[in-house]
Amino acid sequence: MNTILVTGAAGPLARLVADELAGDAELVGVDVRPLPPGGSFPGPFYQAYYTQRRVEDVFRRHRPQALVHLGRIRGTELESFQHRFTQNVLGTRHLLEHALRHGARRVVVLSTYHVYGAHQHNHVHIREDEPLRASQIFPELADAVELDHAATTFLWRHRKVETVVLRPCNIVGPNLNNMISRLLRSGGRVPTLLGYDPTMQFVHETDAARAIARTVREDGWGVYNVAGEGVVPWSHAIRLAGAEPLPVPHVVAYPLVGMLARWRLVFPKHLMDYFRYPTVIDDTAFRADYGFAPALSTVETLRTVRGRAPAARA
Amino acid sequence: MLDSLLSAVAPPLPDDVRQGLRESVQLNSAGFDPWGLNLDTAERALRAARWLYERYFRVRTFGLERLPAGGRLMIVPNHSGQLPFDGLLIALALVLEARPPRLVRGMVERWFPSLPFISTLFTRCGQTVGDPENCRDLLRREQTILVFPEGVRGTGKTYWRRYELQAFGTGFIRLALQTRTPIVPVAVVGAEETYPSLYNAAWLARLIKVPYVPVTPFFPLLGPLGALPLPVRIDLRFGAPRLFEGDPDAPDVEVQRMVDEVKGEIARLIAEGLAERPGLQALGAVSALGAGP
Repeated sequence: MNTILVTGAAGPLARLVADELAGDAELVGVDVRPLPPGGSFPGPFYQAYYTQRRVEDVFRRHRPQALVHLGRIRGTELESFQHRFTQNVLGTRHLLEHALRHGARRVVVLSTYHVYGAHQHNHVHIREDEPLRASQIFPELADAVELDHAATTFLWRHRKVETVVLRPCNIVGPNLNNMISRLLRSGGRVPTLLGYDPTMQFVHETDAARAIARTVREDGWGVYNVAGEGVVPWSHAIRLAGAEPLPVPHVVAYPLVGMLARWRLVFPKHLMDYFRYPTVIDDTAFRADYGFAPALSTVETLRTVRGRAPAARA
Repeated sequence: MLDSLLSAVAPPLPDDVRQGLRESVQLNSAGFDPWGLNLDTAERALRAARWLYERYFRVRTFGLERLPAGGRLMIVPNHSGQLPFDGLLIALALVLEARPPRLVRGMVERWFPSLPFISTLFTRCGQTVGDPENCRDLLRREQTILVFPEGVRGTGKTYWRRYELQAFGTGFIRLALQTRTPIVPVAVVGAEETYPSLYNAAWLARLIKVPYVPVTPFFPLLGPLGALPLPVRIDLRFGAPRLFEGDPDAPDVEVQRMVDEVKGEIARLIAEGLAERPGLQALGAVSALGAGP
């Protein structure tokens, strides 16, 4: 039976992916975080930084055929940039080297659509081969871009390993702790930038987990954008999720967020532009090559973000 | 309240128009198309602009029956009039008078998304940044796009050079060849006279980083009132659609020949329009001053 090593294993998305894969493989989990109270992982679990030597020993002991790297530390977690860079960039490189040395045949790395950057010159549908502008706009996103580069470089350099790099749009759902899910779940007033209402894409956590599991199971390699059904403006998404938009002028919002960040009140400044300019990805390649289609529509995805059953369509 | 105000001044679009528009776009579950268009917002904007089209500029159209009944299309007009009212009026003509109606995708400038409110409204109405990728994408999904190959060279002209076509870019022909899209040449006759620019304050334009700053007999003299376009009758003359065949990567000289054909056809349509409507519509007074050649 196959062994699959999953990073970020203490997180909710890894749990959903593990549940998808559990039937046909043995799973090994690694995370820099401990398992949450009451949480579990369907297989052995190790808490370690990805740069630590112990991680290589997990590879030696379990000899996984596949590495599923979901454990990117996000800016929202109030880690210092230095720490994020070390873990995300060096950590990823270490994991990829271990995978190569210890005989993994498949590597799946979860990147993000943020790497393209929220730039006003973006055209509407960004394909996988386009420049990654994120770190040009906000150096704080350099770790995400470098992680993506490390994965795509590995993809081309080591062709005997089948590598898949996924760049999903906003993954949302009742179980996730990412910023966008928390905002949509808040049920109260959610800030928008006055006068700006960029179209965004959302994919439900279960659809994202299915997409990831599919790339682990099926043959193939490449860099793929992954998105949900369609685009929807941010204010519209807020209303579909059962909250109300609270427009804030951007001349106030940017300095305010900068100040709040100093007091560790969460809203990462480097993600503000994603609420100003659209960053819409083209997912036709993934749909064509993997036959993937999200099970939930955009409306269903947003209506169920708080865990309620989908309401009847208005 | 806004809605009731709108219904009072702008009646809803005819049912066959609304139906036709609905059939020409692909909306997702939330009611948006892949480029962020929302038909409800677009319809409201079209209703509000209809007054400009019917009453203010009293637009007449010729040759709309030449348009194909469906499929991708590239509309290529001359560009004039300082502010792009010509684009708006062509878009309205294709919705209100073409059968079936066509929702036109305009191509806005790259700095446009940084404008609050307006950029959001324009996106909801189906406009996108004028980027070759966006054009290709729209055409491959059977949309109608509006391209002004003269760009700001056309709109920023002074009054003395009215109806003189400026240099055309070649990108639109390559795009049409790549996507096998028919080109419809259009002559806009009258928009040149909406803002009779006597002088382009280029130094001021450079200073405030805009392409040009026109000085007209009324602007900036009359302030905001002077910024209103003159209520000139505007004629839109649609030529026959033309499907070019050839290598999209042919050298510029070959592509230029096709560009010149389109340009020649537009010039011919303009001449036809001017002959049919010789007098200056709103500028008799300026003309009498002997200002123009």
